Amino acid sequence: MTTHSTPMKVREPVVFTGDPAAGGGRRRGGSLATRRTRAGYGMSAPALLFLGATMLFPLVYNLWTSVHQVEIGDLVTGDWAFNGADNYDAVVSEGAFWHAARISLLFTAGSLVFQFTIGFALALLFVRQFPLAGLFRGLMLVAWLLPPIVSGTLFRWMLDADSGAYNELLHTVGLDALAHNWLTDPSTALPGVIAANVWVGVPFNMLLLLVGLQSIDPTLYEAAAIDGAGPWQRLRHVTLPLMRPVAAAVLLLGLVYTFKVFDLVFVLTGGGPVDSTTVLPLYVYQSAFKLFQLGRGAAAGTLLLLVPLVVAVLYVRRLRKEGAAA
Amino acid sequence: MTRPRRPWLLTLVAGVITAFFLLPLYWMIATSLKRPDEVLSSPPRWFPTPPSGESYAQALDKPMLGQALLNSVAISLGVVALTLVLAVPLTYAVARIRMRGSAAMVLSLLVAQLLPSIVLAAPLFIVLRDAGLNNTLLGLVIADTTLTLPFAVIVLRPLVRAMPAEIEEAALVDGCGLPGVLWRIVLPVMRPGLIAVGAFSFLLGWGEFVFGITVNSDPEVQPVTVLLNTFVGQTGTAWGPLMAAATIVSVPVVCVFAMLQRFIVGGLTAGSVKS
Repeated sequence: MTTHSTPMKVREPVVFTGDPAAGGGRRRGGSLATRRTRAGYGMSAPALLFLGATMLFPLVYNLWTSVHQVEIGDLVTGDWAFNGADNYDAVVSEGAFWHAARISLLFTAGSLVFQFTIGFALALLFVRQFPLAGLFRGLMLVAWLLPPIVSGTLFRWMLDADSGAYNELLHTVGLDALAHNWLTDPSTALPGVIAANVWVGVPFNMLLLLVGLQSIDPTLYEAAAIDGAGPWQRLRHVTLPLMRPVAAAVLLLGLVYTFKVFDLVFVLTGGGPVDSTTVLPLYVYQSAFKLFQLGRGAAAGTLLLLVPLVVAVLYVRRLRKEGAAA
Repeated sequence: MTRPRRPWLLTLVAGVITAFFLLPLYWMIATSLKRPDEVLSSPPRWFPTPPSGESYAQALDKPMLGQALLNSVAISLGVVALTLVLAVPLTYAVARIRMRGSAAMVLSLLVAQLLPSIVLAAPLFIVLRDAGLNNTLLGLVIADTTLTLPFAVIVLRPLVRAMPAEIEEAALVDGCGLPGVLWRIVLPVMRPGLIAVGAFSFLLGWGEFVFGITVNSDPEVQPVTVLLNTFVGQTGTAWGPLMAAATIVSVPVVCVFAMLQRFIVGGLTAGSVKS
C-alpha cells in the first residue's frame, strides 16, 4: 500500500467494467481479501490497545511486582529489589492466606450448592405456563441486577439482631430459638454472607437453567409419558440428563463469579468478625491497599488468578466440545 | 411442557415464593418510609404507618449524595459510550473478517471476563495515575470499561456471525464501502445486542465499587456506591437515611430493567451459555 489512506477510510465505490464476479476485487492496495484483512486489524486496534493498557499490562505488571520487594515508599522512588519467589514464600507460609483460602472455598461451595439447587427448583416451577410467571421472574431478576453494595447493605440490615426482618420473621413463626445476631457472631457470619450471596445468585441460575429447560423438546416428555413414566421419572430420566451441559456451564460460571466476589462481603462484614469471612479477594485487598505490602499483595493476586484460569481452561474445552458436536 | 391443569395454583405458589424472595427489597422501602425513631423499634414493625419522608430528607441532606449520584450517572453513561465505540468494530472484525489471531482474541476475551477485578486494581491505579487520569470521572469510566468490553464482544459476536454473507456482499457490490456496510447493515443487525450491552454497561458502571475505592481517592468524583458504603458505620448506622439512599440508588436499576428486560434477558443468556 503506497497511499496514506487508512483501511478504515476505503470508501470509494467499486466500479465494475465487466463481469461482477471477476472484477471489483482487484484494485489499488491489493486484493479485496487483503484489504479486508487490513481493515479488520484497523478495526480491532482501538479495543485491543485499550485492553492491552487496562488488562494485559496490569496482569504483567502484577507478575513483575510479585517478584520484587515493594512497599509503599518504593512506589515513589521506583527502587525495586528483585527478590525471586520470596513474596510467594511469604504468602504461602502465612496462616492468614490459607485461612482466607479456606473461607473462600466454604463461601464458594456453600453459595454454589444453594443458588444452583434453589435456582433449578425455581426454573422447574417457572417453566410451567401459569399466569403472572413473567412478572414474578422479572421481579426476582431485579435482585441480581442491584449493585452489590446495595444488596450487601440490605442484608446487613435484614440480618440485624434486634430490628432485623429475618429475626422478626423467625419470632413470628415461633422459631425464637433460631433468632440470632448473625453477622457479629464468628460462627454464623459466613453463613450470613453466603445467604446474601445466594440471594443475588439465585435469579441468575434460575434464568440460565430456565432457558435450558425451555430448549428441551416437549415430544420427549410426551413419549416418556406414553411409556408410563411418572413426573418423577420424567425429571430423573429426561430432564436431568439433557440439562447436564447447561448445568455444567452454569456451575462453572457460578464458580468463577462467586470466587471473585469482593464488594458484597466488603460491605456486609469487611471480612470480620475476627477474619471469619475474609475471602481471598478481601485478603488481596488488605495486603495491597491496607498494609501496602505491594509485592506480597501482587503475589497473592497471582495465586488468586489460578482458580479462574483453571476454570477458563475447563470452560473453553467444554465450549470446543459443544462446538464440535453442533 | 404441557399446560398445567390448575395454573392459578402455580401462580399462588410462585407468588408466595417471590414475595418471600423479595422481602429484603420490601424491607428496604418500608424502612426508608418509617419515621427515624421507628426504624430501630424492637420488635420491628412490618408496615410504615404513617409513611414519612423524613429519612429521604435526611439522606438528601448529606452533603455528597447529590454529587455522587451525578458522578455515577456520568460514569455509567461514559461506560456505555466507550464500551460500544470500542466493542462494535472489534466484534465485526473478529466475527466477519479473516484475520490471523482472531480465534486467540475471542479466547482471551472469554478468559478476561473471568478475572477478579481486585487483581487489576493496583496496577490499573498506576496506569491511570501515569496517564494523569486518577481521580477523574474518565479514569473510572476507563477502569469500568475493562470489565464491560470483553462481555460486549462475547454477546455481540454471535449476532454478527449469524448475519447472512449475501446481504453484506450485495451491499459491497452496490458500492457501499466498509463503513457503509457497518453503518447500514451490521449495526441494525446488532441492535438487540447493542441494547443489551448498553443496558449491562450502564448497570455495571452504576454498581461498580472495587475500582471506585481503589483507583480513586477524591470524594469529588466518587461514585454513589462508594459513598453508600461510608454510610455504613461500624457502630450506630442511621438505617433510615441509608435505606432511603439505597432505594434511590435502586430506582435507575429497576427502570433500566423494566424498560429493557427483553433485551437484557436475551443478551445475558446468549453471552453466558453459548459463545
